[in-house]
Amino acid sequence: MSVNEKFSAIRKGLLEFLVLQIIAAEKVYVADILKQLSTTQFATQEGTLYPLLSRLRREGLLDYEWKESEAGPPRKYYQLTGKGREQLRETLEYWSEINGTVKKLGQK
Amino acid sequence: MNKVITINLGGNAYQLEDGGYDALRAYLETATAQLHGNPDRDEILSDIERAIAEKFRARLSSHKTVVETKEVAAVLAEMGPIEVEPGEAAGAGASGAGTPSGASRQKTAGEERTAGSSGPPRRLYRIQEGAMIAGVCNGIAAYMNVDPTLVRIAFVLLTIFWGTGLIVYVVMAIVVPEARSPEEKAAASGFPATAQEFIRRAKEGYYEAMKGFPDRKARREWSRRFKREMRAHADQWRYNWHSYWARHAPYHPGMGFALPLLSLLQAAATVLLICALISLLATGTVFGLVLSASVPVWVAALLLLIAYGILVGPLKLARRSCYWGLGQSRWAWSFAFFLDAMIWTAVVIALLWLAVHYFPELRDAIRSFPSVAHQAADDIRNWWHGK
Repeated sequence: MSVNEKFSAIRKGLLEFLVLQIIAAEKVYVADILKQLSTTQFATQEGTLYPLLSRLRREGLLDYEWKESEAGPPRKYYQLTGKGREQLRETLEYWSEINGTVKKLGQK
Repeated sequence: MNKVITINLGGNAYQLEDGGYDALRAYLETATAQLHGNPDRDEILSDIERAIAEKFRARLSSHKTVVETKEVAAVLAEMGPIEVEPGEAAGAGASGAGTPSGASRQKTAGEERTAGSSGPPRRLYRIQEGAMIAGVCNGIAAYMNVDPTLVRIAFVLLTIFWGTGLIVYVVMAIVVPEARSPEEKAAASGFPATAQEFIRRAKEGYYEAMKGFPDRKARREWSRRFKREMRAHADQWRYNWHSYWARHAPYHPGMGFALPLLSLLQAAATVLLICALISLLATGTVFGLVLSASVPVWVAALLLLIAYGILVGPLKLARRSCYWGLGQSRWAWSFAFFLDAMIWTAVVIALLWLAVHYFPELRDAIRSFPSVAHQAADDIRNWWHGK
């Protein structure tokens, strides 16, 4: 089993927080999120992202507004709620703790 | 040469090759099955349809108006399979997508979605126009397509004999929503064409007709004209609907005074009817008027109801036209409506109080009300268990 395969479950779990982090920076719509992720190990597709976004919205972490686009149907632009920001902050903290643990363990 | 199918995605028409259409349909059906049990299913599906529409658009130009089968396949591959979120029930197709049962279930899920949008559902609403109290009977009558008077009689009889009518009425007045928007009003009476439904149906014809136009310019011109016509139709229809309830009466300031007066008269007539019915059934007399033995009680009750109908009919018509006339001035309407409701309530309460005070039978009926209601509840329970 390659490292890539071993980490697929972890990547899946982390996707949610990367999405929150992307949305935290600016109002984005789904194609923006996919584009930002596409060059990383977390590249994903609409089929995954839409259900994820709808769950995050249901949990009250994000919100969206409709905007007309120059070409095609109107788009949903997502933004974080206060609760979403709080959750993101907690997660980043926890993540750096994990990172620290990974680095520290096994070192004498 | 390939057959082309026109579809509607996110409110825009797209032309797909036959094979592409099948692939898209299969994708959306699987998506529907995968999202089974997800509370946001419909929203996610429309998100996905919109995303697909955007991708199609990127592949089209003024010289290329049809999405090819291989392009549809590419778009669907870009979209990727619908991922089931953790903690949400997986769809019927999630485990057995390849098995025949899974496949057939996916199909029904897809068909359900399309079936849901065709034909207006009839829904139970309260209808204020021409209502006596809260519009419950009116709404039920519209729902069952019978005369409201029949439903009212049923409620009165239920109240008198078993005491349950009143409880049911109060509960329904609280629980059943009032029809406010034209669409709700149409749904209440199951009118075949709500404004929305009308436009939706027309749109189907619109996309059919779109196929017949050779070039973009002709199509756009036709589309513009079509939309204008639709709007005119919808306005006309809405107008007809209003005048269905009251022939358009012109506004007159006197209506503000006439309306409460009319209400007062109608309320008095209603209370008189209730008291007369109760007194008739309890003692066989109507306000001291002894019936001759040859007339059965039910005939007398029917006569009373007919007399009531004749008395109240013109009052109701006048009230409706007052409402309609006042409707042209927002302030007058609100004021009159408020006053009207207040007077109605006050008069009904006052008269009922008086009636209870002066008719001992009525007092007895009310006193025995809890035990009667209890009895009725028991009967229903027994009947239910006996089934």
